[in-house]
Amino acid sequence: MGVTKEQVEASLTSKLNPSHLEVVDTSGGCGASFVIEIVSQQFEGKRLLERHRVVNSALEEEMKEIHALSIKKALTPEQWKKQQEAEKPKPAA
Amino acid sequence: MWCVGPLDSITVTPSPSLALFGGVGKTPTCSLHLHYPSRPLQALPTFTLANPKSYSKRALSFRCSAALTPELKNTLDKVVTSHKVVLFMKGTKDFPQCGFSNTVVQILRSLNVPFETINILENEFLRQGLKEYSSWPTFPQLYVEGEFFGGCDITVDAYKSGELQEVLEKAMCS
Repeated sequence: MGVTKEQVEASLTSKLNPSHLEVVDTSGGCGASFVIEIVSQQFEGKRLLERHRVVNSALEEEMKEIHALSIKKALTPEQWKKQQEAEKPKPAA
Repeated sequence: MWCVGPLDSITVTPSPSLALFGGVGKTPTCSLHLHYPSRPLQALPTFTLANPKSYSKRALSFRCSAALTPELKNTLDKVVTSHKVVLFMKGTKDFPQCGFSNTVVQILRSLNVPFETINILENEFLRQGLKEYSSWPTFPQLYVEGEFFGGCDITVDAYKSGELQEVLEKAMCS
């Protein structure tokens, strides 16, 4: 029973073609709770609510078994790049 | 089940929006209380279906995609617009039964806005119907001025960015 991290990754990869994807199983083994970070071109021009809807519908089948899905990040590649650069430690002067 | 406390400890607080549910009509002939056999029915929101015969067919696909009847949709239209801020959650304002629901309650409390909560654990029919109504698979679900705002992640995000405060302020002023 439950859904595996690999299943979630496979569905998201095939449907949203993400340039970055991180799926963490936070269920403690039962496969019912996941945290997701995803970067996809398909989020371009969509506000956060719509982006979450895109992810939810990509996981429509899995959602029947998943009880808690936390989408920590749903970014466009551009936003992701900016965030990465902002987080990069500045080279020592 | 996940993040659900003992069902027997749930108390139903009568509220204007719950009265809306109760006001829809008589107790349905079908058994809505199947999922909670140990709990009394009288305090639960009830729904009437125009044609009880068709319900038995519907009940078969209960878990699939026929939870949102036109009657339920009408009722929900009224509920989400009955207050400026409505939160469909697991548990109650004073006794949230899920960490995500609790988070949204605490955010709304900290912003000092009046809000109404509806405990979806009280009614499996409502719970399934709402998923379709909002096109959103999980709870909590936050509505502001009759519009779906988001689940927990989105609310937290909007709170951090200040967008939630803006939206709520606008709603309170209108």
